[in-house]
Amino acid sequence: MRTQKKRKLLCFAGLALLLLAVALLAEQLSPYDPNQQNYEMALQAPSMAHPFGTDRYGRDMLSRVLAGARISIFSALAVVLASSVLGTGVGILCGYAGKVLDTVLMRIADVCLAFPGLVFALAIAALLNGGTISAVIALTAVSWPKYARLSRGQTLAVRQEDYIAAARLSGDSTLQILVRHVLPGIGSQILVTAMLDVGTMMMELAALSFLGLGARPPAAEWGSMMSGGRSMLQTRPWVVLTPGIGIFVTVAVFNLLGDALRDYLE
Amino acid sequence: MKRKKTKNRGSGLAFLLAVVLAATAISGCGRETQTETDLSESGKTFVFGDTTFNAENGEADINPHNGNGGWACIRYGVGETLFRFSDSMETEPWLAESWENLDELTWQITLREGISFTSGRALDAEAVKECLEDLVENHVRAAGDLQIAEIMAEGRTLTIRTETPVPALTGFLADPYACIFDVEAGVSEEGIVQGTGPYRAVSLTTDQELRLVKNENYWNGEPKLDGITIRTISDGDTLTMALQSGEIDGAYGVPYASYPLFENENYTFSGCATSRVFFGAMNFKSGITSDPAVRQAIAMGIDKEGFVETLLGGNGYVAAGAFPDSFSFGGGAVRAASYDPEGAREVLEEAGWRDTDGDGVREKDGTPLVLRWLTYPSRQELPLLAEAAQATLEDIGFQMEINSTADHNRIRADETAWDIYVSAMVTAPTGDPEYFFKYHCLDSSSSNDGQYHSDRLEELAGELAQTFDTDRRAELAVEMQQVILDDNAYVFCSHLRMNMITKSTVTGLTAHPCDYYEITAELDMEG
Repeated sequence: MRTQKKRKLLCFAGLALLLLAVALLAEQLSPYDPNQQNYEMALQAPSMAHPFGTDRYGRDMLSRVLAGARISIFSALAVVLASSVLGTGVGILCGYAGKVLDTVLMRIADVCLAFPGLVFALAIAALLNGGTISAVIALTAVSWPKYARLSRGQTLAVRQEDYIAAARLSGDSTLQILVRHVLPGIGSQILVTAMLDVGTMMMELAALSFLGLGARPPAAEWGSMMSGGRSMLQTRPWVVLTPGIGIFVTVAVFNLLGDALRDYLE
Repeated sequence: MKRKKTKNRGSGLAFLLAVVLAATAISGCGRETQTETDLSESGKTFVFGDTTFNAENGEADINPHNGNGGWACIRYGVGETLFRFSDSMETEPWLAESWENLDELTWQITLREGISFTSGRALDAEAVKECLEDLVENHVRAAGDLQIAEIMAEGRTLTIRTETPVPALTGFLADPYACIFDVEAGVSEEGIVQGTGPYRAVSLTTDQELRLVKNENYWNGEPKLDGITIRTISDGDTLTMALQSGEIDGAYGVPYASYPLFENENYTFSGCATSRVFFGAMNFKSGITSDPAVRQAIAMGIDKEGFVETLLGGNGYVAAGAFPDSFSFGGGAVRAASYDPEGAREVLEEAGWRDTDGDGVREKDGTPLVLRWLTYPSRQELPLLAEAAQATLEDIGFQMEINSTADHNRIRADETAWDIYVSAMVTAPTGDPEYFFKYHCLDSSSSNDGQYHSDRLEELAGELAQTFDTDRRAELAVEMQQVILDDNAYVFCSHLRMNMITKSTVTGLTAHPCDYYEITAELDMEG
């Protein structure tokens, strides 16, 4: 049973690594310059020369989807990394130290959680004047409390364990206890949550871009590509569907990887 | 026991009373609501979707004296003006029968007979006087245009005396803000006025819908429809789907990309070239666009032809100046820089803008050639123009930062926040050239956010303001356009072709070059 779970995990980890490799090597893999406009080739249906067709500026859609993979995937990973590190740090601190620090930080987290996530992110991104970095900051600001709550709960449970008491008796500093003993104890839960979050963050980044608060032109980003082409959904569907498929495949792979990781760790 | 019985009887009575009250209230409300709804939904009705009828465009209601409410008032057949524009954009009497210039400052207008407002009041000079006085009191632009010193009313004769000569007065009186409505009847809380048009507004919800019913006493023919609903559908794709599904019968603002869906026997297009132009205004307070070489390079670096043919799908034509070629002072009457990327590179090189670090962006004295392009997305073609220009301008050494935002009006007021502001404006809403210069290019212009100044232009504008002769006005308009083009203060990219799409069963919805007249008494539907 465990071998089967391991095989499943390796399979999805392999697919995720493949996506990351594609994103990293987008420039080398792209048959054309993703930003090069050529009106003579505008809105060409998929063909051998342009397997994903071209957009209204005559830009090759395959090249743009590949370039978009880099921005979309790495932005989503950046959000997950930032929010999980920040949230986990806060959660461990609150769970271990307790008292006033716990009360203050958790109330801040509660305030953040009180707003509908995407609406709050929209407001922050708009205040920061849009753009990819603003979108990443906005989503991080919205996502960290979830990790803080999770890691705080886990820390509260772990800190009662005998090995923590032993570490304390052996003279370990608080920082050493948190990093060497508490974090490894709760890490697997955080990792699974983070992995499942990659897909969610990608969707939310795409939503912000779709609403004009994400990547700026001419940057190829899947959400903004879909937004730009939405009036052609019925007449030139490839302009919308190709970045949409990119989002679908990536979200599916990272969600399945998260599930497989959880199953394996259980 | 007895007490209990009394209590029950009391409860029963209370319940009965509540039911009766509720039923009365419901039937009362229902009757009122039903009247409004039934009138616009019964008989032969038409539903029209429009992307522009919304508060964002200043059309929160149909009160002509409130922002751009006049556009909705005139477009949807509620209000009419003393003068109107012909297909060749010349003014002709409408509610007026005739007019005469007694001297440079005095205009005598005779009104038609037999016209009444939908409130029932007869249209006479006194009613028009009240309306125009209310207009100049509440509408800043109108007050500036009309320069009214005094209005006198006697029977059907209206005499207007202006403070200074206003040669384009009949054109200004044809502007949507000058729709004549019954001021005595007032403006409802919803923003509904009683005009003289073929339809009467019965209900209005801002950013949602306007309901109209036939004006039974219309003076200029019998309206053919019983009711009309104007629906605000600000998203072009939603509008497209509403027309496809049959939810609406006609649409204004369908994206060009969706046109192929309607190019068949089930739909009809009505289109014409308008004086709406996509143009960029340079910021003369910016360190970048205050350089004449940079402005010249921008003018030479935009592929207008490619934008019109590919991105507008041919629904427009390349602009040279501010006015379309339907005007004697428009089209090819002026000379503008043509697309010449090589020439643009040379201009920048000579001016000292060079790419010294090989990153593709030119610099001068350590300042990179970064162009901040401010525009807005509610005109769907503007972001396309921005992205098209970005490609060609970056090719000649600019780095272009696009800010396409609904917040553009606030940002453009801050001269440090942008280098070029690109918008789509109707340049000759009164069929006369003075409007464009007056509002965009002069020291006193309210929309001259880039603070452009030209002594020669100011001098010519002074002359234009005093000139009554049409031919001379046209000559001056050409000369003034050439001044701003030679300074590269503005770049005019394309004129827009406006289209309305209807089901093929709809007749009488015809596009007009001024973009004002949509719903008329001629509008009809089969079946």
